[in-house]
Amino acid sequence: MKIVSISRLISALLLALLAIGVIGTLLPAFNYLPVLGYTEFSWQPWINLFQAPELYSSLMLTLFSGITATIIALFVALATLSCCYDTRWMRYLQASLSPVLAIPHAAMAIGLLFLLSPSGWVIRLLSPEVTGFDRPPNWLTVQDPYALSLVLALVIKETPYLLFVLLASARQLPVKASIQLGQTLGYSRLTIWRKLLLPLLYPMIRLPIFVVLAFSLTVIDLAIIIGPNTPSTLAVTLFRWFQDADLTLRLQASAGSILLIMIIAICCWCWQQVYLLAHYFSRASYSDGQRRTKADSYLKLGSYLYLLIMAVAALALLVLPLWAFAKRWRFPDALPAKWSLDKFNASTDLLTQLSTTTLLIAFSVAFIALIISVLILEHKRLFSGKVFWFDRFIYIPILLPQVGFLFGLQIALIWSHLNGSLAGVILLHTLYCLPYVYLTLQGPYLKFQQAYYTQALALTQRPLYAFVQVKLAMLKGPLLSAAALAVAVSIAQYLPTLVAGEGRINTLTTEAVALAASGERKQASLMALLQAFMPLLVFIMAHFIAKHWTSWRLAISYRASDKNNISAK
Amino acid sequence: MLNDCVPRTFLARINSATTRLQQICCYLLAILVSFIMHTTAAHADWQQTLTAAKGQSVYFNAWGGGDNINQYIQWVAKQVDQQYGITLKHVKLADTADAVSRLIAEKSAGRDDDGSIDLMWINGENFRALKDQKLIYGPFSQNLPNYRYVDESARQSLTLDFGTAVEGMESPWGMSQVVFIYDTQTLSAPPTSMLELLEYAQQNPGRITYPEPPQYLGTTFLKQALYELIADPSVLSEPVENIDFELLSKPLWDYLDQLHPVTWRSGDVFPASAEAMIRLLDDQEIDISLSFDVSSASVQIEQGNLADTVRSYVFDKGTISNTHFVAIPYNSASKAASQVVANFLLSPQAQVKKQTPTVWGDLTVLSHYRLSAQQQQQFAQLPRGIATLSLEQLGQSIPEPDTSWVAALESAWRARYAK
Repeated sequence: MKIVSISRLISALLLALLAIGVIGTLLPAFNYLPVLGYTEFSWQPWINLFQAPELYSSLMLTLFSGITATIIALFVALATLSCCYDTRWMRYLQASLSPVLAIPHAAMAIGLLFLLSPSGWVIRLLSPEVTGFDRPPNWLTVQDPYALSLVLALVIKETPYLLFVLLASARQLPVKASIQLGQTLGYSRLTIWRKLLLPLLYPMIRLPIFVVLAFSLTVIDLAIIIGPNTPSTLAVTLFRWFQDADLTLRLQASAGSILLIMIIAICCWCWQQVYLLAHYFSRASYSDGQRRTKADSYLKLGSYLYLLIMAVAALALLVLPLWAFAKRWRFPDALPAKWSLDKFNASTDLLTQLSTTTLLIAFSVAFIALIISVLILEHKRLFSGKVFWFDRFIYIPILLPQVGFLFGLQIALIWSHLNGSLAGVILLHTLYCLPYVYLTLQGPYLKFQQAYYTQALALTQRPLYAFVQVKLAMLKGPLLSAAALAVAVSIAQYLPTLVAGEGRINTLTTEAVALAASGERKQASLMALLQAFMPLLVFIMAHFIAKHWTSWRLAISYRASDKNNISAK
Repeated sequence: MLNDCVPRTFLARINSATTRLQQICCYLLAILVSFIMHTTAAHADWQQTLTAAKGQSVYFNAWGGGDNINQYIQWVAKQVDQQYGITLKHVKLADTADAVSRLIAEKSAGRDDDGSIDLMWINGENFRALKDQKLIYGPFSQNLPNYRYVDESARQSLTLDFGTAVEGMESPWGMSQVVFIYDTQTLSAPPTSMLELLEYAQQNPGRITYPEPPQYLGTTFLKQALYELIADPSVLSEPVENIDFELLSKPLWDYLDQLHPVTWRSGDVFPASAEAMIRLLDDQEIDISLSFDVSSASVQIEQGNLADTVRSYVFDKGTISNTHFVAIPYNSASKAASQVVANFLLSPQAQVKKQTPTVWGDLTVLSHYRLSAQQQQQFAQLPRGIATLSLEQLGQSIPEPDTSWVAALESAWRARYAK
């Protein structure tokens, strides 16, 4: 079987990449980095790590922000699902998801920064009339030392993702029947969700929750933009060490990355234990016969929180065009005093260049990830029933902290001359997009009625033709949405672009994050605006094309056949 | 070497010559010959470099955070393309340390002849790291034809880059000096020393801040403070290993302990960069900003990022100043072209353009008296931005402390305030 061997080869390559990245982090963590003259294994990097003054506070911040954000996001997502599923709000809920999912988190964070800072838009709108401020107050709202603003940014980013996963999983449960039955027994809607459906849903979304947890504990770009800086979260501290002119810091940074991996593992384990405990203690309450409980109102509160979160996200996006096209906007004016297209005109060349690179990378990655996913899924289909080992490690890239892993891969990239090249960036992006593409495509692809293909094959005797013209054509909806997701994920990548591109390959995201950190609001807004706009456009296009493809194709082929008929006459 | 050897061999041959006059004539002849040989040899060498450089690409890794600087580099790219047939590509760095760590990675991967960096903008600790690790090519700078306009004795920072001997391993590009920036509408008499600054902060809590070390401007603020607070500033030129850092830096920490409670956000957070400081000044969150770029205030007014009532000034006892350089990595594949670009950057043409306030406003490294009258006039005629200080107004410059102070100050600062 050709497909099987190709699929195995790809899996082996991916596994090799993962192994190189991990080994490239492990060796320096134990004092082995020959280029700097460290050739003897020792615990020194760990000793230095634990003596670093910022470690403990960084660690506490990371744990606090990562875990809090995950808990809040999960609560809001569960609450919103319970309140909205199968109601008239459902349509709006679904409509709100894809845009928020598509917008890169860096753009969102830049918007939040300009919205919520003491001289941000919220206070500008209220000053001086309501607040009485002529000058911005000396408050700590963003980049606060408790990382609350980082938690907010993470919640805005993660809640829609969890809701998306929850909606997909809920479709596999007999929700309607359960609610009808429950209501005839006098249970309130929300109580049915809490006692019956959510306990069933949780195991189905456990892995996505761990993905959210790992992401929140290790995120770099969001934390650089809106996180605290004295100290920063552990991932950012490690990132700074990796970039430091003092090269020996790389050793302790590698040790720190291993520590971060262990922290993720421990957090996931603890999370599961807490869940089991909570589940154990609440089991009695599931069958205590109470028809409605106080918890109902908490769930309602949670769904209002979702509304609030969406409103903040919308305002954060709205502030971007304001800054991008402002010439002069002083505090406390509610809107810019002078507008101009200067920034836009002056940077047209740069913007075109960045957008081209960004899209070129994103589309190549989407294409490659789709091909790999289809190959491997085809392999999996043939192996149905058995445990498919690809499924086990495909999550590893999104669970591993980027900060150590990517620097571990860096030397391999240089060795293979892929550093600073478009190919290198595409390779690393593929590593991070593939899991999402594979997982979204998996369900619809494996559900495909293979009989259609068999029939087509029997009629045409051309396997490739039947595969493309019938199977892939029938799956174009899921294929296009998976591609759009890959484009969105690729556009959002910061660290992989930085490590593989080495500053030679710049995308809208690397430029936007660099500018946000430097404080240049106008240019940063312009970048963030474009960065947010592109995936949105791609999502809309994917939806639109999937819907109209067949009618367009038929229209074209009819016209062609008409012409043929006419010329035949 | 050549200069010394030739006259001696000549002398040996004419030992038999008797008259004093003959001897003197031969002496003079020898010197003349050796001089001509030397200059023609150098000239031939440079011609060779120019020929080799033609058609090469130079990846210039330089900090890319300043729009105006990026545009100046674009202008340089156009010039070297037209004049020497060199393709210059600007690789914009967020931090020069990125390039340093990339060089390390390349060396560890055994890429010793076609590295990704051909020329880099550098000084201070990054230069020391590269020089110590033998990751840069050289010496080359003193052989560049345009180096004749540089007078090494004019400024200590031309030969001692943060205390590290330059020794021709990097070529000077420009000078920076710390300036403070304030809005004349909010502030009539800005504080002109560290102690006055503290007093001002105590009277106006939350209106003073500085960038967060290890951001270089933040570290520079620490050095400026240390220079003013320490009893004997001459110890700053010593490596930290030779002195009692704990004891000598104590006045600085005492000062900061007093300052931080009355700084912006009570010292819980610090701005990330000079650009963030400018933004805070414009938002009126803070009253005084600082910059290492003397023309910064004028440029920002021009771009609509600051009010036109903003001005810059310096402290009474002077401010920290340094020289920034360009260096060539050991594994560059275009060493010839990189030298030609470094030489072009040193040319009066490029230096005048660079010092033009609407372009960049970065101070020249060339010495006035070594230029021709016409070139001198070009520099003299440069307009100044409304908020840019003249060389006289910039006053006394304070040299950078030894590089080792950077790491010591940064880690001590982080240990105290970044917990």
